[in-house]
Amino acid sequence: MTVIARTRPATRIASRRGPTALRYTLLTIFAIPWLVVPLWLLVVNSFKTEREAADLTLALPTEWQLIENYTAAITAGNYLTGLRNSILIAIPTIAAVLLLGAMAAWVYSRSSSMTLQSLYYVSALSILLPPAVIPTIFVLTALNLDGSLSGYALMMIGTRIGLFIFLATGFVKGIPRELEESAEIDGASRLRIFFQILLPLLKPVMFVGAVLLVIAVWNDLFFAQLLLRGSDSATLPVTLFTFASASMNIIRWNEVFAHVILSSLPLIIVYVVAQRQVISGLTEGGLKG
Amino acid sequence: MVGIPTGERKNAGRAHGARPAGPPRRRTILGRPTPHLGLVASSVDRTGSPRRYDDRWIRGRKALGSAAFVAPSVALVVVFFVIPFVLNLPFAFSSWTGYSEEIGFIGLDNFTLLADRGVLVTSTVVTVVYAVICMLVQNIVSLSLALSLRDATPATTFFRSIFFVPVLISPLAGGYIWRAIVSPDGPLNATIALGAPGFDFAWLGDPYWAVFWVAFVDAWKWCGVATLVYIAGLNSIPKELLEAADIDGAGRWRRFWSISFPLLAPAFTFNIVTTLIGALSAYDVVASMTGGGPGDSTTTLNFAVVQQFGYSFFGVASALNFFVTILVIVLAVPLVMWLRRREVAS
Repeated sequence: MTVIARTRPATRIASRRGPTALRYTLLTIFAIPWLVVPLWLLVVNSFKTEREAADLTLALPTEWQLIENYTAAITAGNYLTGLRNSILIAIPTIAAVLLLGAMAAWVYSRSSSMTLQSLYYVSALSILLPPAVIPTIFVLTALNLDGSLSGYALMMIGTRIGLFIFLATGFVKGIPRELEESAEIDGASRLRIFFQILLPLLKPVMFVGAVLLVIAVWNDLFFAQLLLRGSDSATLPVTLFTFASASMNIIRWNEVFAHVILSSLPLIIVYVVAQRQVISGLTEGGLKG
Repeated sequence: MVGIPTGERKNAGRAHGARPAGPPRRRTILGRPTPHLGLVASSVDRTGSPRRYDDRWIRGRKALGSAAFVAPSVALVVVFFVIPFVLNLPFAFSSWTGYSEEIGFIGLDNFTLLADRGVLVTSTVVTVVYAVICMLVQNIVSLSLALSLRDATPATTFFRSIFFVPVLISPLAGGYIWRAIVSPDGPLNATIALGAPGFDFAWLGDPYWAVFWVAFVDAWKWCGVATLVYIAGLNSIPKELLEAADIDGAGRWRRFWSISFPLLAPAFTFNIVTTLIGALSAYDVVASMTGGGPGDSTTTLNFAVVQQFGYSFFGVASALNFFVTILVIVLAVPLVMWLRRREVAS
């Protein structure tokens, strides 16, 4: 036993450096088919002519056709309408989910009342069970919101808020009550306590919630396709799908890839700016199943 | 609850000041706020009565406040999640189509129609196979990535952030990218052709491979999140435990299987369940990669929902939607229970 204990540290130090180098080599090799090839294929073919892009090679274009492809994606691909609608959906949805979800999570985490607990469970249940989309259309028609952006946004809020309530309730439970109680004794109103004390403390979980939400909402095709009919209210994934399906059997890879790049770009730009916070936020904060 | 007379409270307050001391007695009458009992109440007020009025008043106000804080989200969840969810049941048994105003009850007709056409069985099988493949690929890849990226060094930070990029791309777009990669002329076949010249297999033309690839792309898209969840799980394992095992002579694998793996249970539950539920509602990747084909070998339940909706057969679409729900309940709920139990046990 003692022999092992004495020799171990030495072998560990020796073996540490080897596997680390090996590990990074393996990760790099893995990243090539996993990331580099897909992204390179995407970018490089969006610069080619239709005939050249049809070969789907990784080679650089012999004939560059950059402006034409991207112009086609923007005009024929209805990109600007899609971008506008996606922004009009994403921002209010995220704002509403974070604010209303945080309000509810505060109450749920600080209360033991049966009614509130069951409401919490109903909200959390929406994480597990898939939304019933056809009856949603019926409900939206009854509310005179069918096919409208606001109807779609409301549906998104109602079906996505459960996850955030779940995450935020767990988070608030970890915050000591004393702060709120002392503010209450000092005579602060409930709203004031919420906005001035609680909300700033909730920043980490709200950030995680915003990241998960924007990924889900920005990229949703299923509900958008069923709830938003008509090209004026199409979101980016809908415009991409319509654009790519325009010619029945053949896909014009150069233009489709240009559209893919353009519709992914807003999130990619935000990610490039905030990647550190996104990665550390998702690893450290929030996600505790 | 809110409407407690203020006079009563004032009285109680004054009484409190008048006779602060005195042992508690005759608790039984405290509940009755008759004015002439003020003095009696005062002698015991330290333990209860007036304070309790105050409490009740505050609690009433608090309850109202709580209601106001909870109401908006509850309303949204009820209107856009609970009501549609409940309505799905009658709609699944209704003759609702886009061709007539009437919605009648037609019993199991929608289901028998789907069963007769083979849609129900085929898409259920496709959906379950898809979900299982997706769950396996995603969790094996992301757990391996997490194990090699768990230490925070500049290099791992870089790898963590690049492996997250597919998460940002829509599953629809991911489907187009991979459809190009696995196409007969695409880079995959070109690479294989280096060893086997002339290799031009149409992966998406083969029913079995097509299911594999759509599920694979779904897993590819979400691996970044699952990896971070596993890293968080690994980092929450006390280092001392692993070091102790190391000193005791436990090897790499032994340490992983005996310590990390059981302690990863919460991360495991989260990832397995989210991938499974997500994959049971698969639609986007199928739409861009295969369009449900070849034949209907990649027609998942949700893909069939959109198809039926496109034909304006809303009742039939509801029936399929209902089936997705059943599938989630039948598969995911026992899985959650089982995984949770494992968590507690370990």
